[in-house]
Amino acid sequence: MESKFTEAYPKTPDATREEECLRVSDMLDLMIDGEASTDEQQYFNKHIEECVSCFENHQKQKLLKGLVSGHLKRVIVPHSLVQSIKARIQETL
Amino acid sequence: MSDQTGKQLSKEEKDARFEAELLPVLDPLYNFAYRLTLDEDDANDLVQETYLKAYRFFDYFEQGTNAKAWLFRILKNSFINEFRKKSKQPAKVDYSEVEGYYNTDDVEGESGVATTTDMRTESVQDLIGDEVASALNALPVDFRTVIILCDLEGFTYEEMAKILDIPIGTVRSRLHRARNSLKEKLEKYAKSMGYNS
Repeated sequence: MESKFTEAYPKTPDATREEECLRVSDMLDLMIDGEASTDEQQYFNKHIEECVSCFENHQKQKLLKGLVSGHLKRVIVPHSLVQSIKARIQETL
Repeated sequence: MSDQTGKQLSKEEKDARFEAELLPVLDPLYNFAYRLTLDEDDANDLVQETYLKAYRFFDYFEQGTNAKAWLFRILKNSFINEFRKKSKQPAKVDYSEVEGYYNTDDVEGESGVATTTDMRTESVQDLIGDEVASALNALPVDFRTVIILCDLEGFTYEEMAKILDIPIGTVRSRLHRARNSLKEKLEKYAKSMGYNS
């Protein structure tokens, strides 16, 4: 019985790779947001050099962030707002 | 942001410092208010309310500390505590109510949102901007908030945790789910436009 169990859950390099991909996937946001530690950055960069799928996921995540930061239009502040703020402050003094 | 009691300022000093340190944040603050309320008049009211509170508590604001994060925090609290209750609009969906819907991580194998090579004309840029805005506006307000704070305003996770009053771990998981949800909406759009790579 024990041997069957072992066969069903073999410790192969693939399984290790899968764990690595999972870890790297968890680090995607940290990387694109500049929040990863030096160790995490090294681990991440080494992995995506060897793993096409994680490399592509990283590209997509960067693209998504770039769409918001680079394409979302800013609304224009109404000219009257500063004056309204100052007036309200003076009123409530 | 600071709880250090400031020295008493004369009214002139206070007004001058208020203007120099807090008013430069008006543009990002108004944009944040607009993205929360999705209405220009409401954003106007919310920003005025925020500055009024900031002025009232300005003696407690420590010079040189993060004025932008402080104002964003006041605005976000005003939005939650007063504004949403006053609003006649139906309550916007809250993150906790929809949490279960956003647990999918299966985004692999789908097309990227857009390629950049053939998208350099202004009209296409506008189109993308409109689409990003409408996808973002369709997200629950808590998801929208973390994406705006992080991607548009460039706050760190630590600053976001302080603004939103939640642990950094929650900032991370909320941001992750928010991005998955945004990605899903934009991928639908990209596919409808024929980007299937």
